[in-house]
Amino acid sequence: MNGRGKRRVPLALAITLGCGALLATLPWVLSDFLLALALSCLMYAALAVSWSMFCGPTHYLSLATSAFFGLGAYVTAWGLESMPYGLAVLGGGLLGAAFAALIGLAVLHLRGAYFAVITFGLTELTLHSITYVEKTTFETAGRIISDAPETPVIYWTVLALTLLAVATAIVVRASRLGFALAGIGGDEERAQTLGVNTRRVKVIAFALSAFFPGALGAAMAVRWTYIEPMSVFNPFIGFQTVLIAMVGGAHTLLGPILSSVFFSLLTEFLRLRFPYAFLIVLGLLLVVLVLYLPGGLASLFLRRARTHG
Amino acid sequence: MAESLLSARGVSVRFGGLVAVNGVDLDLSAGELVGIIGPNGAGKTTFFHTLSGVLKPTEGRLVVAGDDLTGRAPHVYAAHGVARTFQTPRVFRDMGAGDNVRFALEFAGRLRKHKHDAFDDVETILGFLGLAEAAAVPAGALTPARQRLLEIGVALGARPRVLLLDEVAAGLTQTELDATAQLIRKVRDELGVAVIWIEHAVRVLMNTVERVVVLHQGAKIADGDPRVVAKLPAVIEAYLGDEAAAVSVAA
Amino acid sequence: MGFWLELAASGLITGGIYAMVAIGLNLQYGLMRIMNISHGEFLMLGAYLTWLAHTTFKLNPIVSLPLVAIALFALGLAVYRLCFRRIARAAATVEIIEARSLLVGFGLMYLVQNAVYLIWGADLRGYSFMADPVEIAGARFMANRLLVFGFAVAASLGLLALLRWTMIGKAVRAMMQSPTGAQLVGVDTEVLHPLVFGAGLALAGVAGGLLSMVYEISPSMGEPYTITALIVITLGGLGSAIGSLVGGFILGLVEAFGMHFTSPSLKMVLSYGVLVAVLLARPRGLFAR
Repeated sequence: MNGRGKRRVPLALAITLGCGALLATLPWVLSDFLLALALSCLMYAALAVSWSMFCGPTHYLSLATSAFFGLGAYVTAWGLESMPYGLAVLGGGLLGAAFAALIGLAVLHLRGAYFAVITFGLTELTLHSITYVEKTTFETAGRIISDAPETPVIYWTVLALTLLAVATAIVVRASRLGFALAGIGGDEERAQTLGVNTRRVKVIAFALSAFFPGALGAAMAVRWTYIEPMSVFNPFIGFQTVLIAMVGGAHTLLGPILSSVFFSLLTEFLRLRFPYAFLIVLGLLLVVLVLYLPGGLASLFLRRARTHG
Repeated sequence: MAESLLSARGVSVRFGGLVAVNGVDLDLSAGELVGIIGPNGAGKTTFFHTLSGVLKPTEGRLVVAGDDLTGRAPHVYAAHGVARTFQTPRVFRDMGAGDNVRFALEFAGRLRKHKHDAFDDVETILGFLGLAEAAAVPAGALTPARQRLLEIGVALGARPRVLLLDEVAAGLTQTELDATAQLIRKVRDELGVAVIWIEHAVRVLMNTVERVVVLHQGAKIADGDPRVVAKLPAVIEAYLGDEAAAVSVAA
Repeated sequence: MGFWLELAASGLITGGIYAMVAIGLNLQYGLMRIMNISHGEFLMLGAYLTWLAHTTFKLNPIVSLPLVAIALFALGLAVYRLCFRRIARAAATVEIIEARSLLVGFGLMYLVQNAVYLIWGADLRGYSFMADPVEIAGARFMANRLLVFGFAVAASLGLLALLRWTMIGKAVRAMMQSPTGAQLVGVDTEVLHPLVFGAGLALAGVAGGLLSMVYEISPSMGEPYTITALIVITLGGLGSAIGSLVGGFILGLVEAFGMHFTSPSLKMVLSYGVLVAVLLARPRGLFAR
């Protein structure tokens, strides 16, 4: 994995950059509606790719994406008046990473199921904590976003984050960190006896993967004019991320990217027309997928995909 | 005098009311080839777990190459030069055999220096074990016997000073057994790695090692020259429940 | 004095519900390693069924409870057969069973919740039942809350008795300790697993029915109970039904007193904080075997 993979990194990065350059032209080409759609696609691609960065090789199931996203959104909500947009986005990412590191230190030693359960409650927990803080310290329920940047700026920011996520994923996969993660996913105790400080590796990778939902939350927050905890800590974001990664195949790079395009389009078109019915369909889809195609669609194409019997 | 690589003092492991390892002392010096035998349930593998940091001993101290590592995590033991295999071969099943060895070289191996060049690359290590042509094969697809060999290769990739081998001979034919014993001697003779070897195939072990330790119900009941230990009444009695082994011990 | 008694009582009442929900989930997870993250949705279904029976058929909620239990037991059998059985069969390791059943549960959660949204909408629903105050030892309680408490405790104790003294209960406990051993003695997992799964959902449904007597219901009411049940299981230890019972009451009390001294909106933070604290100190739970 390691030796051969390294040679492909510069090529993969070049391709990523190339696609990025192409995508950067879209604000001049697309209508407002289509641009919003593209924005949504990019966001979910970044979320799915960064989720798979950690959860793919290690087989941990993190349901915490919504928590990081919401935290990032609040960095913008609190800070946009006193700092430039770019800084808020960076701040959101750093807060997401720091929070993930903290939680990770406490719970990453747990087996997959307990870890998943804890991250599941995290969104709810963060939501209530922020609500409490807003009510008691700031005496407000929600915040108004003024000075929101223009849509193309938002788009380019999200595009940059997506490219960064993909580039990070490419580099990590070919790096020692990625190798360590693969070992942890294969047999954690074995990896430990071969010299890997698995606790440190997991926390670092988890925090790294949480930077992106945090930054994306901060970036996307400006699309709401009024922010309150309930709208921003939306568990659906985490759900959609997991679904996309599962469908695409969390152990691949391209799978989540392609899958996110498909799902963003699907979601945008259906959500307005059938708000509850389509969520039922998505839920059903996840169930069917896990039962009949646990490796995601990518496993149909890759012969070396992980299928455990 | 040969440098002391590993020193266990009064190591005990208790699980609730069950005593798995009971006050075991063991010293290992550079270049030694030591065997550990004992009837089933004697605590041999549990003892290995403490020697490699996988289990924290309930009591006792573990000193590796002069540093007290009692209670530290497994990767610290690996960094100090302790490598091991497991009773059932544990390899990274979805990685190629070569990548498995590369993994050890990348992590524990990188933290350690060894004067022998054999540890410098995957091909040499695989060649040493006769697995050169299996480099690209996913480890999970190898036969159990070859997985065991691979596990030894992976352990070597960690550039160890001490190699803990846990029952590498299970399920092998007599010829394969002898070949494995020779391999173990080679590891010590050519690569200068000290070896502690747990084995049920007692006869082969006794003919290969220079020193044998006998565990019974978690406690050490003998430690010395195989020919002397084999005749000790306590050892024969411990094995009386295990007739086949008793016969080979006394032989 | 009356005030503290009321506070403790309200904690115990909530705790009783937690215990019921937790025992059901504990059995499912302890026996089958199925982490059914949609457990709370079936509590919500039980609440809606009871409400529906009351408003449409004028059925006394107490009478509805056994009906809800049966309905959800049957639903549990179906859900197990359709969704979880395949996972148990196809997966090679326990970790995979857990991971996949988690994902399936995640999907089910969205499915069930939104089906209810679709049918009954997002508005809060409710009805009034036995909302008269009762006085005991200088403290005032709502009659319906006492009823809920009584039922929850009775159901939990009943289940514990079942586990301890009946053949089925012993079979379940045997399977939880040693799956192979139990199978050798003739315990049939094909029969036991769906039964236990169904029983778990039935308990959750009854808990929901009880809750509907006291609180308003909404499609999203189930999630917090899932999280709380998981916290209780962690507190009480996996596989220990008694642990879930005790843990449920403890958590209820912690929440009641914690909320009083801090703020009601910190309820989730408190219970979550308890969970993280316990897991840090004792990764396998307080009473884990």
